[in-house]
Amino acid sequence: MPPVGIWIDGLIQSCTYMTMAFGMVLVFSILGILNWAHGQFYMLGAFVFYYAVTAAGIPFPVSLLISGVLVGGLGILVEKFIIERVNIPSAQGALYVTVATIALIFFFEGAASMIFGMQDKGLAMVLPGVLDLGSFSVSYQKIAVVIFTLVIMITMYIVLNHTKVGLAIRAAAQEPDAASLHGINVERLSLLVMGIGCALAAMAGSIMAPVFIINPFIGGIPMIMSLLAIVIGGLGSLTGAIVGGLILGFLNSVVAYHLSYFSEVVLFVLVIIILLVRPQGLFGASRK
Amino acid sequence: MKKRYSIATILVIAGMVFGLGGIASADEPIIIKVGLPTVLSGPAAPWGQIGMEPYLTWIELFNKEGFKVGGTRYNFKLITVDDKNTPEGGAAAAKQLIYGDKVKFLAGHWSWNFPAVSAVANQAKVIFLTRTGNEAVPGGAYDPKKMPYVVFANPSHDQFISDCFALVEAFPNYKRLGILDCAIGKGPGWDYVEVALKKAGVKYTIEWFPFGTQDFTPYITRFKEAGVDVVYVAGWVGESMAFAKQRWEMGYKDMKVGHSGPFVSVGMYNAVCGQDAAQGFIGQYWANWDFKKTTVNPKYVKMCQDVMKIVSDKQGQPFAYTGWIGWLPSHLLILAQAMQKAGTVEDPDAIMQAIRGGTFDSTTGKWTMSGAKTYGSPVVFGCPSALSKIQGDKEVYLSEHPMKPLP
Repeated sequence: MPPVGIWIDGLIQSCTYMTMAFGMVLVFSILGILNWAHGQFYMLGAFVFYYAVTAAGIPFPVSLLISGVLVGGLGILVEKFIIERVNIPSAQGALYVTVATIALIFFFEGAASMIFGMQDKGLAMVLPGVLDLGSFSVSYQKIAVVIFTLVIMITMYIVLNHTKVGLAIRAAAQEPDAASLHGINVERLSLLVMGIGCALAAMAGSIMAPVFIINPFIGGIPMIMSLLAIVIGGLGSLTGAIVGGLILGFLNSVVAYHLSYFSEVVLFVLVIIILLVRPQGLFGASRK
Repeated sequence: MKKRYSIATILVIAGMVFGLGGIASADEPIIIKVGLPTVLSGPAAPWGQIGMEPYLTWIELFNKEGFKVGGTRYNFKLITVDDKNTPEGGAAAAKQLIYGDKVKFLAGHWSWNFPAVSAVANQAKVIFLTRTGNEAVPGGAYDPKKMPYVVFANPSHDQFISDCFALVEAFPNYKRLGILDCAIGKGPGWDYVEVALKKAGVKYTIEWFPFGTQDFTPYITRFKEAGVDVVYVAGWVGESMAFAKQRWEMGYKDMKVGHSGPFVSVGMYNAVCGQDAAQGFIGQYWANWDFKKTTVNPKYVKMCQDVMKIVSDKQGQPFAYTGWIGWLPSHLLILAQAMQKAGTVEDPDAIMQAIRGGTFDSTTGKWTMSGAKTYGSPVVFGCPSALSKIQGDKEVYLSEHPMKPLP
């Protein structure tokens, strides 16, 4: 049985993957695309947060919101001026979007390298200190990650289930044509959803920035892990994204504790097994 | 016929005039181009970029006197190409430098793409001063017959072993040494390291992490359970900082952490780890003015100190990175002295003959090329294997275990 520290670590990892995966699935549900540059929005969020805290001296919770708003806005611009234009209604449309968003990975990483530099940055001064629990301790930064994730998930639940916008998003996700006929502007909704998805990635990057290091290349692994979480949970299922992220975070930590660097191999094998047994993922709709 | 004769005469005279012009300015040194394939983009770029300013400044100081071979004075000119820290990038950079920029030597190289750069350099008979790469060990890809122009001017594996000895000497009451590396670094080089550590009776545990890992909680826990109290990370700056921070947060404050690389900037460690967690962090130390066991030519010590001052003035802030001292300047001194011994700047075979088994005075001390039995050719230069630790916002000398000549 792994020690408590490993389970806490698993929970922290789960929080990141849940938030990231939730944003990705939200975008997929409405736009029908996988944003391969989702991890780079995570990275940009971390940088915005870093400069908001260090250069502008803005308090940490406000910086978190600023990061979400700014990077969410960037996501809207990407949707409006790139994805919307290449996502033509044909078989090639999805391919063009894939190529465009993969190109964005290199663009954002290159731009971040030029603008922010490539030296690792850190925010150890944000919420320093640890909560001593006897045989182990947990940093306040990690506790903040858990609280943040809970707040985000509750907020998203309320938005999606108890607001008009949420109703529109759910309607457009299930039946875009019918939603359109009922007066929902799906194009405008797509922009909003892309903004929310990117804002979630940015805020995940921001809340993790004090925990880990910040550099232009930190987005790759969270993106891959979120993708795995989505595959486990079921592509298109918001509940699946949460459960998938939760499972993956704990698995990653516990397997790494037992098997060291073989953990990645084991994780991918597990995902393949899940796909073989249940191709639609744990919460995805089954194919008829 | 007469006209042709006149033209020929004019050409001869013109040639003499230009030739004489050359002779007239015989004090002007002849430039020897040296290529440096290094990483200037991607995650490892800070390591490539931070050395540029001190390298160029050191060469500028060195060139004031230059070096003489057969009465002719020579200067070095450094040409740098981004090797992107990949094998393909390394090969492309080497080709650009050798065939495009026409460099005579490759030096200062430290990336893990050694085999790719080496293949290009050897084919072109260009002497290549590098570190022992992952493959560059007995049983690995390094073959002195296939790579007759490779010199291990920075013996990374042997230095890593000596670093471990320096750690054990710094903490004689250590319980167990933890060694951490990324799984992509696994290779025959590690077998070589393990054999040496076992032979010396060092108690150790090795852990591997997958590429891209930022969360080291599982590895810290495994080390703790194995009784490890000193962890030495093979390179990997960002990962080392994350490790140090996380072990502190987990309450393992007495677990010492270091990495086999010099500090790029102490401020960065304090910012990433937090001031408390960064204290005591260990790194390689190339400040030759602080060496306790290795004697360095005072002339080179002064040059290095001058460079530190000039770069600090240029950058408008104290420049404390010492890693550059052990790389390019040391390589260029080996080259210059080898050319003097060989009496030629043109013949790579004669220069290599002077390098093999030769003794050279460098910025990191005077060492004799060894390793005939270990590597198949005496092309391994020694090093001080000095370590420092972070104290406040400075790095201070910790310990030193000069590398013994390899059999």
